[in-house]
Amino acid sequence: MIRFVLRRVLAAIPIGLVVTLGVYALVFAMPGDPLRELAGDKPIPAAVLAAKRAQFHLDDPFIVQYLLSMKDILTGHFGTTFSGGDIADQLRLRIPVTLKLTLLANAFQWTLGLFFGIYAGFKRNGWVDRSLLLTTLVLLAVPGLVAYFAAQYLFGVELKWFPVSGVLEGFPRSYLLPALVIGVLGFAGLARLLRTSIVETVNADYVKTARAKGLGEQRVLWRHILPNALLPVITFIGLDLAGMFGGAIITESIFNLPGLGQFMFQAIKLKEGGVVVLLSTLAFISFIVINLLVDVLYGVLDPRVRNV
Amino acid sequence: MRRLTGVIGAALGLALVLASCGDGKSSSGGSGSGSKSEVIAIAADPLEYINPLNENGSPGIQIAMAMFAPLVTTDPNTGKLQNVMADSVTPDKTSQTWTIKLKPGNTFQNGQAVTAKDYVDSWNMTAEGSNAWKNNGFFSKVDGYEALNPPTADGATPKPTAVKTLSGLKQVDNLTFTVKLKVPFSQFGLTLQYLGLAPLPEEVRKNPDAYKRKPIGNGPYKLAADWNAGDDIKLAKWDGYKASAAPEADSITYRFIPNADTAYNEFLAGNVDFTDVPSTKVKSFKTDAPDQWVTSVSSGANYLVFPAWDARYKNPKLRHAFSEAIDRKAFADLVGLSDPAKGLIAPDINGYRADACKYCDFDASKAKADLQAAGGFSGVVNISYSTTSATGQIFAEAIGNMLRQNLGLQVKYTGKQGSEITELADSRKLDGLRFGGWGHDYPSIEDYLTPMFKSNGDANFAGYSNPALDAVLAKGDAEPDQDKAIKLYQQAEDIALEDMPLIPLYTKSNAYLHSAKIDPRVSKYVGVSALWATFK
Repeated sequence: MIRFVLRRVLAAIPIGLVVTLGVYALVFAMPGDPLRELAGDKPIPAAVLAAKRAQFHLDDPFIVQYLLSMKDILTGHFGTTFSGGDIADQLRLRIPVTLKLTLLANAFQWTLGLFFGIYAGFKRNGWVDRSLLLTTLVLLAVPGLVAYFAAQYLFGVELKWFPVSGVLEGFPRSYLLPALVIGVLGFAGLARLLRTSIVETVNADYVKTARAKGLGEQRVLWRHILPNALLPVITFIGLDLAGMFGGAIITESIFNLPGLGQFMFQAIKLKEGGVVVLLSTLAFISFIVINLLVDVLYGVLDPRVRNV
Repeated sequence: MRRLTGVIGAALGLALVLASCGDGKSSSGGSGSGSKSEVIAIAADPLEYINPLNENGSPGIQIAMAMFAPLVTTDPNTGKLQNVMADSVTPDKTSQTWTIKLKPGNTFQNGQAVTAKDYVDSWNMTAEGSNAWKNNGFFSKVDGYEALNPPTADGATPKPTAVKTLSGLKQVDNLTFTVKLKVPFSQFGLTLQYLGLAPLPEEVRKNPDAYKRKPIGNGPYKLAADWNAGDDIKLAKWDGYKASAAPEADSITYRFIPNADTAYNEFLAGNVDFTDVPSTKVKSFKTDAPDQWVTSVSSGANYLVFPAWDARYKNPKLRHAFSEAIDRKAFADLVGLSDPAKGLIAPDINGYRADACKYCDFDASKAKADLQAAGGFSGVVNISYSTTSATGQIFAEAIGNMLRQNLGLQVKYTGKQGSEITELADSRKLDGLRFGGWGHDYPSIEDYLTPMFKSNGDANFAGYSNPALDAVLAKGDAEPDQDKAIKLYQQAEDIALEDMPLIPLYTKSNAYLHSAKIDPRVSKYVGVSALWATFK
C-alpha cells in the first residue's frame, strides 16, 4: 500500500507541472491588461504603471513569468496581489472559509444522498423512490445561480431565517444557507447513482445466495449489498469533493463569503496569473490527496484493485 | 416508514440546531441601538490598506472622506468652494503660483498639529514615481515633476531619484506653503478638494506600510476597532475634529459586498442602511423599497466614441449624421434613469448648457442628407462593447439598429473585455465605434474638456486633436476670473461639438436605497452622500 501511495504522489508531480503551466498559459492568454482593469476608467500615471509592471514582472516573457510564479509558490514567498493585498494573509483568511463551506455542504449532500439513495434503491418503485426520481430530475435541471439568489431572497430577505450574506454570524450560522443549497442541489446525482447501484446489486446472484442461506435482511443489506453498491459512489464523492472548489466561485460571490472561490474570481477578473496558479496548485494538491484517499478506500472495500 | 421520518427529522433537527447555535452576536443590522450608527454597503472588493495618497478608486476615497479632511470642499447647498483645513487658497495674478494657508489648531488623530510641512512632505512622497502611489499623476502639473519621474524603459523598475522634492512645492512657514505650477491653471483651487491629497502625519510618512491598516487621519472619524484584511471597516467619531461641521453619525460601518445584487438583498433584509442600486435593479427599486430611495443627477456623461485614426470616419459631417440618426430619448429610456445628453458636460457642473449641441436632435432625414453630403460611408460599422457589462450588448445593438434603420448602414458588433477595448483604442487599432464615459475628479467644466479633448489628454478616448481647442483651453486655464474662464471653456466645448470626435449620448442619474432611520444628503452639486446623512 505504501508503494502504491508513493507511486501516485510521484506521478502527481509532472501532472501538477503540466496543469499549472496550462492554467498559467490560459490566464496569460486572456485579453486585457490587468493594471488597466485595476484602474477602471481612470488614467494611471506612467511611473506607477512602470513600477507595477516591474514589480509583477508583467513585461517578462510568458515562461519567465510562470517560472517566477512557481518559484514564489515553492519557496513560500507569496508576495502581494496587484491591489497590494498580502497573499499569505489572504490565504490564512480564506482557506478556513472555503473549508467550512465545503465540509458543511458535503455533510448535507452526503446525508441526503446516502439516505435517499439507499432507501429508494432498496424499496424500488415505492413512492419514496418515485418522488426521489422526480425531485432529483427537477433539482438537476435548476441552474445554481438561480437557486442561490432565490434561496437568498426567500430565506434571507423575506423569511429572515438565515443571514443574507457574509460571515458576520460565524460558523455555522453564516454558512448554513449556502451549504444547504449546495447540498440539496448536489445530492441529486449522488442519490440517483446510489439508487441504481443498489438496484443492480440487490438482484445480483451473491445476494440471492446470501438470502437463500437464510441471512437476515439487515445483514444482507450491510454486509453484502452496501459494500459493493458503494464502490462507484466513493469515486463520485471523491470527484465531487475535489470539484467543490470550482462551484465555490459562484456560491461565495453570491453569499459574499470571503473564501478561496471569491479570491479566484477576483484574480481571474484582474488577470493575476500568480494568484490563479497558486490557487490552482492548492486545488490540484487537494484533488490529488482526495483521490488518493478514495483509491485507498477503494482498495479496502474491494480487494481486487489493491494490486492494480 | 418510521425510519424514514426519523432520518428526515434528524436532518431537519441538525439544520435547526446549527441554525440556532450562532455565536450569539445579534444581527449587525442598521435598525435598533439608540446611538446614531449606520451601516453603509460598498459593492466592491474589500480594501487592502487605507492611504488616501495611494488610492484613487471610489471605495478607498469614500473611506478617506470619513477619516481625512480635505483642504477645501464644495458647499452642498450653494456649489461654492469653502475652506476646510485651508484658511485661504490664493492664486497669483497669472494663476500659476498658489499660496495655501492652513487654519491653526487642527491636529491629526495622534495629537500632532497639522502643518504645512505635513502637506509638502506627503505630496513629495506621492510625486516620487518610484513609490508608485496612485495619485502620483495629480502632481504632473507642478513644477519639477519630471525630476522625480524620469522616463523609465518598459519593464524596468523606476529608480529612486536623487531629487526627493518637487521644486514647485515650498513651505513658507508653519502653516503656509506655495505651489508653483508648470503653466497657469485657473481651476487649481477646485482640485484641492480631492481627498487623495490628504496629509499623512510624520510617523506614517516614515513607514507607510506599517500604518496601512491603522491609518492616522485628520478627519471626523477614526478606526473604532482593529482592522484586518477582509474585515468591514468600523469607524467612530473622533472628538478632535474641529475643521468644519462634522457628519451626524456617531459610528459608521462600511461593509464590503462585492456582488451588488447581494448588497441590494442585504438592504431589503434590513441589515444595511445605505447602498447603491445596481444596474440590474434600475427598473424595480422603486417598488422593492418604496419611500426608501433617492436619486441624483450624476456627474458622469456617456458618449459614443469615433476612432480618429480611421479615415472612413474623418469627415465631421459624417459624424454629425451619425449623431442625428440616434434617437436619444429612446436610448435613454432603454438605459433607464437617464436623460438624453446634448452637451459634453455633466448637468451638475457649473457652466453646463442643456442645448450646447447643434447636431444632437433626432432627425432621420437630416441625418441621411448629411451622410450624403459627407460622401456616404463605405463598409461595415463595427460597434465594440464590453462583455463585462451586463447591458453592453443590448446598448450596442440599440445604437446599431438606429444607424441601420436611419442611415441604411451595415452594422456588426464585437464584444470584448473593457480593458482590451481601451488597449486597442490606445494603440490606435480599434476598428469602429465604442462606448465611453467620464466623471470628473473635481467639479469643473475644465475637467471634462482637458482630459477628453485636449491633444494627448489623459482620457482622450477618440485620439482627437485640434490646436484651436487647445489654445482656448489654455486661455481658460490662464484666466483668474472664474466666470470669464467658464466662457472660454464653453468656447472649447463648442469647438469639440462641431468637430464631434465623440457623440454625447445620455447622462445617467444615480439611485440609492436608504433605511427609514436616515436621510442621506442629496445635493445638486455634490450628489448623494450617506456619510453626511441626517438621523431621524
